[in-house]
Amino acid sequence: MKHYLPDPDQIPGEAQPQELPPWGETRVVGRSLSRVDGYELVSGTAVYTLDLTLPDMLHAVIVRCPHAHARVVRVETSRAEAMPGVRAVLTASTPGAEIPWYFGDDGPTSRLFDSHCRYAGEEVAAVAAETVHQAWDAARAIEVEYEVLPFVIDEAEALEADAPAVHEGGNLTEQREFARGDVEAAFAEADVVLGGTFRTPCELHAPLETFVSVARWDGDRLTVWDSTQGVFARQQELARYFRLPLTSVRVICPYVGGGFGAKLSTGKYTVIAALAARMTARPVKLAVTREDSFLSEGNRPANTIRLKAAAMRDGTLTALEGEFLGSVGAYPSGAVSPYLLLALYDCANARAATTEVYTNAGRARAFRAPAFPPCAWALEQTIDALAEEIGMDPVEFRLKNLATVLQLRDDLPYTSIGLRECIIEGAREFGWESARSRPQQDGHLRRGVGMAAGMWAYPGEPRATVFVKLFADGSVNLNMGASDIGTGTKTVMAMVVAEELGVPLEQIQIEHADTGTTQYAPASGGSQTVVVSSPAVRAAAVDVKGQLLEIAAAELERPAEGLVLRDGQVVPIDDEGAAVPLAELRGLRQRQNIVGVGRRHPHPEGKIALPFCAQFADVEVNTLTGEVRVARLLAAHDSGRVMSYLTYENQVFGGMAMGIGFGLTEDRVLDSQTGKMVNHNWHDYKIPTAKDVPLEQTCVPIDPHDTECNTTGAKGLGEPAHIPTAAAIANAVYHATGVRVHDAPITAMQMVRLLAETRGD
Amino acid sequence: MSEDSGKRQDSQRGISRRNFLGTMGAGTLGVAVSGRAAPAQGAVAVASDGTQPVTLRINGRRVDLRVEPRWTLLDVLRDHLELVGTKLGCARGECGACTVLVDGQAQYACMTLALEAEGHEITTVEGLMHGEELGAVQQAFVEEDAFQCGYCTPGQVVAAEGLLRGNPNPDLAEIQEGMSGNLCRCGAYDHIFKAVRRAAQLKQLGTG
Amino acid sequence: MLPQFDYVRPGSLSEAIEHGATDGAILHAGGIDLLGCLRDGVFTADKLVAIAHLAELRGIDETRDGGLRIGALTTLSEIAAHPLIGERYTVLSQGAGSAASPQLRNQGTIAGNLCQRPRCWYFRGDFHCLRKGGSMCYAVAGANQYHCIFGGDRCYIVHPSDTAPALVALDARVRIVGPSGQRVVPLDSFFVPPGQDIRRETILEPGDLVVEVLLPPPGMGLRSVYRKVRARGVWDFALAGAAAALTISDGRVTGGRLVLSGVAPIPWRAAEAERALAGSRLDAETIRRAAQACVADARPMTHNGYKVDLVRGVVEETLRSLA
Repeated sequence: MKHYLPDPDQIPGEAQPQELPPWGETRVVGRSLSRVDGYELVSGTAVYTLDLTLPDMLHAVIVRCPHAHARVVRVETSRAEAMPGVRAVLTASTPGAEIPWYFGDDGPTSRLFDSHCRYAGEEVAAVAAETVHQAWDAARAIEVEYEVLPFVIDEAEALEADAPAVHEGGNLTEQREFARGDVEAAFAEADVVLGGTFRTPCELHAPLETFVSVARWDGDRLTVWDSTQGVFARQQELARYFRLPLTSVRVICPYVGGGFGAKLSTGKYTVIAALAARMTARPVKLAVTREDSFLSEGNRPANTIRLKAAAMRDGTLTALEGEFLGSVGAYPSGAVSPYLLLALYDCANARAATTEVYTNAGRARAFRAPAFPPCAWALEQTIDALAEEIGMDPVEFRLKNLATVLQLRDDLPYTSIGLRECIIEGAREFGWESARSRPQQDGHLRRGVGMAAGMWAYPGEPRATVFVKLFADGSVNLNMGASDIGTGTKTVMAMVVAEELGVPLEQIQIEHADTGTTQYAPASGGSQTVVVSSPAVRAAAVDVKGQLLEIAAAELERPAEGLVLRDGQVVPIDDEGAAVPLAELRGLRQRQNIVGVGRRHPHPEGKIALPFCAQFADVEVNTLTGEVRVARLLAAHDSGRVMSYLTYENQVFGGMAMGIGFGLTEDRVLDSQTGKMVNHNWHDYKIPTAKDVPLEQTCVPIDPHDTECNTTGAKGLGEPAHIPTAAAIANAVYHATGVRVHDAPITAMQMVRLLAETRGD
Repeated sequence: MSEDSGKRQDSQRGISRRNFLGTMGAGTLGVAVSGRAAPAQGAVAVASDGTQPVTLRINGRRVDLRVEPRWTLLDVLRDHLELVGTKLGCARGECGACTVLVDGQAQYACMTLALEAEGHEITTVEGLMHGEELGAVQQAFVEEDAFQCGYCTPGQVVAAEGLLRGNPNPDLAEIQEGMSGNLCRCGAYDHIFKAVRRAAQLKQLGTG
Repeated sequence: MLPQFDYVRPGSLSEAIEHGATDGAILHAGGIDLLGCLRDGVFTADKLVAIAHLAELRGIDETRDGGLRIGALTTLSEIAAHPLIGERYTVLSQGAGSAASPQLRNQGTIAGNLCQRPRCWYFRGDFHCLRKGGSMCYAVAGANQYHCIFGGDRCYIVHPSDTAPALVALDARVRIVGPSGQRVVPLDSFFVPPGQDIRRETILEPGDLVVEVLLPPPGMGLRSVYRKVRARGVWDFALAGAAAALTISDGRVTGGRLVLSGVAPIPWRAAEAERALAGSRLDAETIRRAAQACVADARPMTHNGYKVDLVRGVVEETLRSLA
């Protein structure tokens, strides 16, 4: 999680223990309810940042370095400045633009416009003009003279002594080692040892709404509408860049058109928009083009993972060893992680070494379970191979070796672990045994099934504050800082309020994701949103409930413990006929509103709450053409309580769709001669379409009824849904064909060749 | 009378431009090549830095404005008419977020010049509403939770509308094929398929 | 963002030809490929000459000889959905139906599909390559996994069309009108390989436009099919594909053509395979022999050797489906 999300253990906790008892039977939470913002989404009335137009607004565009590695010698802007509609041209020498640029908590690594350009796509200049067409015309008229430098884009080559240095001090960013037990001895004593080198592609986030900010200054106060996953993180970073107090920076994002991790950290475009707005004293909108977003707004780096594993014939996994290599791109970030290797299975002897390097390529950003899908790709295929080698069913082999504690952290216990049930229930629902022994049909189409397990490592940043406000008529305002990145956050949180206050969803108005009007919540990433914010929402609603019942108890002259809230009424448990609508409570009319405040309590001490999953794939391989069709997918997830089945299932299927892309179609391609990306558009960079997902998908929630993780019992879902999919597909392809594909994606290009080699063609 | 206003009259009479031209299509080639069969008054010429008055029909309403040659229908919808329900995803015909109906057929607004949209009936997601009420496809998308971040959704909704107008009762494979021109990075495809099926039912029931 | 250009909507076909022949003018029909190229700066246009409104370029009609005339502006959707084409010229129906996406098929025209520029990512990208007047083909030593294994000559593009191989397989012709009059050309000789002229892909001269595609009457026992392999399920060009239009009588191939897509700078006739098929029964042995014959002359590059296997596989599958 390095460079991506704060370490929960480093956050000073409030000494506020978990106070609320777990829910018993719920009336609202867990149901399949339509989204509270469904109408806005389908009617086209939801206004995303890219849709926003402010009065007198200018449009800015960015001029980017076309070379993988170069120094800017000269920027000639006079022709652009004279063009129609141009109001500002920004370069490194523009007063106010000498902004140091940070990647994470360490010191600045670059500048807003750095004369040392380290990848093709780096920001060199910008133009603000009256229309976006004028801005582009002017941007094309800016002439930049470069000194083109030698570049390196290959991770292994970057480590060679004579490799071009991306930064002073060389290209090695970090090497780490992890070890437990005696790996050498375990390998020596094992019945079976096997391994291989696996490679995963560089994957691009490609959210449908591009990266865009609209900035406006009112005196020294900056307001930014930003397509972001977290307004508070953005507020903090903008305050640092512009040296402003937090109160002078307001960030707003009512709707965000996807992010998948790429919209967690601040992009230069946001700061450029704000800078241009300050220079021109006008609002400025800056939308990164689709093509440019592929170059500069993040990726999941390619990983090379050399794995070795050992087992005894009785099915005991005895040793795991992994070497990980990946590139963070041109600036600090994270590239690889052995977490899954060291945590998913009970294995006394394990060792991992990671190496991360700089290359002249776009910088990595957090991407849906950073580093986990690549590790799953290697680990889960290796586990599959081990099972085969000892003649054991892969399901049985996994069940025999499940971890029950977090070995990575001194055997820390989990608050709950439903992985065993995920595998057992998933296999049962999937029809694993019969599918596994299904005879092949004649002809060139071969079917196969495979599975893979997974877990996610981030328990969430345990701090958020939520206000819930009850109005005199019994309607409710939910005020929270969390962003809804498409997972249904608003809907789920409203359901929590409805659960506690007994008001219908239609009576709940939501304010969210605005640093000016809502309370702190961590960014929506790392599968933490429901985990972190739903307990705070519940606490705020319970606060309101307590105050309300106190009023009602006095008026109805009954003890508060004997009252419940239901259907907009206060209902005496033993005399339901005496129910009173909330709007008729005098005390409520007297006060006009009741405000409840809820805070997220710290994580449980001495335990950790993490989600687990198992996914199953059924594929058809065309042995003549190498085409792989995913016929069927099943996901069994332990993400704790299912807050809303509709959004839960949707998110699981979405994670698997992305996994199909990771496993079968997606791969950033850099030209070896120039270092430039050749497939920076949605045709050449192939994300899955409606035709790439199976028509048969099943979601099997496993709820271990975790009463310790937090007060709503929910664990994260977004990341785990994406982690094992590609590996499960690869195992199914192996089952179908006997071909073990080490390099993702499994394209027809690769598969047809591997099949031919297997046949000896 | 200009050629353009003539086309408008055609569509007002209920003859679509497509049909009209289709019936005119056969066997006229020789005439066109050898003579000046088509009236020259329909000709349009606009300089690159100039603008041309156009009359568009959008969601049943007539819209008069001046456009530059390079403006796409998407530019006009979003930046000049503030119909931002039609989304900008790639501006290069590779995502489907800007899907609109042109004479009832789904097309990408980003790949259509505004000048070329003249004479056609354009329907955007806003045009599928019945006042404040959701249309059948929209209703079905809500019921089936056929979206996540929602950004591709208007394009998906309009594509589904186009699909169902051409094929009111598609099977699952036809839905999958029909919806294959719209990317959803959140991967809500499964629910989208269900929503299209549900929308077909709603339309047949006459709801929405 | 599109750069600036003049726009002309001529009153007639003859005016369109006049405008089209002027310097820097480009015809604009469906616009899909054109606008994409302009946006990416692949080439520039001083003036777009709109032709989408020209009624005489539309329509699908049976011709007197029992063939079919398809107007240049006929959309791919119209072709894919046309019952007569589906019945008599299945390969074309399937080719049109497998191109691009539903929306693009609703807008893209048959002539545009034949005249589209190559999809080579160096040609389309920010690389001054040979085809754009530069001094090198970046694909030779670069990322050439999508490039050709046949017919490359200093430039290694593949022809992107799915309808072109189908039409060549059907021995279709195109009627071209231009400043120097009109001519009817077999589609076989419509496309220009890089060895002949590296700067263009068709024989069209300035001002020329394809006005219609002419299909001969289907031969006795004609069976045809198009099979396309692509990197994802839809909205993608062929990695390799096979368009077969064979006449079969009493189980024996009596004639016809086999044309490959996605593997050569032009729709690639598999002449050796056609010879292997002629007079033979479509049994497993013949099919294997024909598939092998298809790749006899293949010259794969560093990253597209798979196309040799793929062509063999897709041809085998295609012929099996006709057997």
